[in-house]
Amino acid sequence: MISVSGLTKRFEMDGGASVLALSPVTHHIPEGAFVSIVGPSGCGKSTFLRLVAGLEEASDGTITLDTGATRRPVGFVFQDAVLLPWKTVRDNIRFPLDTAGAKKSEGNKRVQELIDLVGLTGFEDALPKQLSGGMRQRAAIARALADDPPILLMDEPFSAVDLLTRETLNDELLKIWKATGKTILLVTHSVEEAAYLGSDIMVMSPRPGRLKKTYSVDLPYPRTPETKALPGYHALVSDLRSDLRETE
Amino acid sequence: MPRQIRSFIEYGAALALLLVAWWYASGPMGMPKYLLPSPQATFSTLWKMMVDGSLWPHLWFTVHNIVMGLAIGAVAGIALAYVLYKLPRLSTLLDGPLVVLQTAPKIALAPLFVVWFGLGLAAKLVLIFSLVFFPVLIGALAGFRGIDSRMHDLAVLLKLRPLQRFWQIDMPAALPGIFVGLKIGAVQALVGAVLAEWISGSDGLGYLMTYAGATYKTPLLFAAVLLTSLLGIALHAGLTAIESRVLAWKVQDGR
Repeated sequence: MISVSGLTKRFEMDGGASVLALSPVTHHIPEGAFVSIVGPSGCGKSTFLRLVAGLEEASDGTITLDTGATRRPVGFVFQDAVLLPWKTVRDNIRFPLDTAGAKKSEGNKRVQELIDLVGLTGFEDALPKQLSGGMRQRAAIARALADDPPILLMDEPFSAVDLLTRETLNDELLKIWKATGKTILLVTHSVEEAAYLGSDIMVMSPRPGRLKKTYSVDLPYPRTPETKALPGYHALVSDLRSDLRETE
Repeated sequence: MPRQIRSFIEYGAALALLLVAWWYASGPMGMPKYLLPSPQATFSTLWKMMVDGSLWPHLWFTVHNIVMGLAIGAVAGIALAYVLYKLPRLSTLLDGPLVVLQTAPKIALAPLFVVWFGLGLAAKLVLIFSLVFFPVLIGALAGFRGIDSRMHDLAVLLKLRPLQRFWQIDMPAALPGIFVGLKIGAVQALVGAVLAEWISGSDGLGYLMTYAGATYKTPLLFAAVLLTSLLGIALHAGLTAIESRVLAWKVQDGR
């Protein structure tokens, strides 16, 4: 689904110097995978995601998205919801459809499905300022899914909500993944979250940012709070921890 | 809405106090009529002009010029702000000249505008325009530059066309800043309109003032001044009402 080859990003600084944010990454992500990308700050995980999204230009290397002629191949969820504060929840979610010129009736149906999927039923006409952080993030996920992109990119989507909400949202995200079959890339700095969610894990390390290691997770789905009691889960979390510690 | 009621009472009390002081100075205190007409004389002059219809063309002329100047100045100010925001290079280049123009005393240039644009409507509109344009430009520029950078990411991700991006994201996001400029500009527009009517022409509230002053019709002068103040308050209240409707989505901070 996503193939990157020799993908590199350098940021030019004032005065001609440049910082290597991502040293060459070559990796393949299969269709329908849920990839957790974990690493300390400065490891280039967000840069990697933004490159895949087309929000940054690669300094070198290639990204191939096997998405055919889809006009908008990726949906993106930011750390904060980044909803348009002057639009209601419904209008925010349908924004990608409206700006792509979708028919109104089609959009209405699609938006109602999404609102039910992310559990915002009853809040369709609320403004973002009236919602809690967790609900805003649900709306942002629904918006990212609105025009049905095959790939969903999430940049630390739950780091701004409280722990309890975060666990709920994790479970709902897994449900959404199962229901939609999207290929998901989720950046996080929490090893627990990475292990709990991912079918695959990319561990990245800083200075310079690089892909250090990849895991294929063999914990069974559906994952539930019981998953966190499995020895395999604990072994994985402790492996990830030591990977991150080595990078310090 | 106890807040609204309270401010209504406060404004009312201030106004009443002013009226009483005015009445006292012109009546019991015995100020000469040609210096200070009584409130009664002023209001009866105003009333007479409303009834015989001679007031309306003047009021309409001033209001019309203010609204026109405000509209043209706002559109031009927002347009230039957007161009400068989109082209940072041009913005650094024009920074100096704009500061010079912005700080130039536009009111002092009013006679020059008459020389350039004649005694008619054009010179008046140019003066009002020049007073409205800069506050709106500054407010809009601050608004555009304050847009969350991730909204740009969103526009890129959704592959928005430039016009979609302007109307759907940039313009609404900059509206709070634009309104700050508009409200300052509206007050300036009123000053500009009255001043322009002092200089030339025979229409408008400003003209009424110079005419009344020259012929010692102080009740008329006071009536014109009173109307102008009321017009200023109405402009401000109107803009505030529009603002609170259009910006209802905004998170009120500090309250």
